[in-house]
Amino acid sequence: MRSYIAFCKKEVLENLRTHKVLILMIVFLLFGMMSPLTAKLMPEIFKSLALDGIVITIPEPTALDAYAQFFKNTSQMGLLVVLLVFGGMLSNEITKGTLINMVTKGLSRPVVILSKFTVASILWTLTLLASFATTFGYTAYLFGSGGQPNLLFSIFCLWLFGLFLLACLLFFSSFTSGNFAGLALTAVSLLILLLLDIFPRLHALNPIALASLNTALLSGAAQVSDLSIPIGVTLGLTILLLGSSMMVFRRRKL
Amino acid sequence: MEKIIEYLPFLIPIILLELVLAVTALIHLLKHPDVKFGNKTIWIFVVLFLQIIGPILYFTIGRSDQS
Repeated sequence: MRSYIAFCKKEVLENLRTHKVLILMIVFLLFGMMSPLTAKLMPEIFKSLALDGIVITIPEPTALDAYAQFFKNTSQMGLLVVLLVFGGMLSNEITKGTLINMVTKGLSRPVVILSKFTVASILWTLTLLASFATTFGYTAYLFGSGGQPNLLFSIFCLWLFGLFLLACLLFFSSFTSGNFAGLALTAVSLLILLLLDIFPRLHALNPIALASLNTALLSGAAQVSDLSIPIGVTLGLTILLLGSSMMVFRRRKL
Repeated sequence: MEKIIEYLPFLIPIILLELVLAVTALIHLLKHPDVKFGNKTIWIFVVLFLQIIGPILYFTIGRSDQS
């Protein structure tokens, strides 16, 4: 337990000193501010394009559009940034050999995986919350405070999908070598999940639903019950990936 | 256009945050002797002209590991 806390502290310090916390916070705050504003100014932007007399009329934007922008930004660019920022959290230390000293002095290897996952997920939680709070405030100010159904549930889904991606990163980094192999394999598995989403039969199972149905949940096009199986699958996979990365990493030559 | 000016108080914090990101990356870049890929001149352009994603790319894959 003591080594777990000590290693967590080291992880937090490392993330602060390598500017990773700064990048995550700024990017997610930017998304939080930009999304409601983009939704609000969309009619103006289209007007200023003035395509040779072609008039594009779009309906007056609503709070739903603001959240649609927010979920589009965070589930695409946001998750990409999270992957880039945390992509090297394990593989960089393996290639640089900085873990060898600590492991030979008695730090257990599963603790390494567990504390890396803990710190990364705490950072992900904080940034997502900060970003969501900003969007919530801006939307309430710009569009009035109309209650959106399933808003918190929708955020929870995105959050869980982020945790799943972090577990994927750790799992793939635990047996590959090189700085980017873990990141590349995670990207490949994300692509596979996206491709599998084409098959209607797999819709009900695919974890990707957690990051793609967010706006549908708000507009009522998807129900909370539609997501109960993907949530179960994602939770199961996350725990499985974490467990197996601890097992694999135990045997790995550093 | 006047509507954009009306929302200027909302746009300024966004521009400021983008600047903070770009300037932090630029300072780090100028203080360090080399980068992992390419050369420093390319990275200066990447950091200053690719909004948001430029500084992120620099800090995640471009920066050198020497402190």
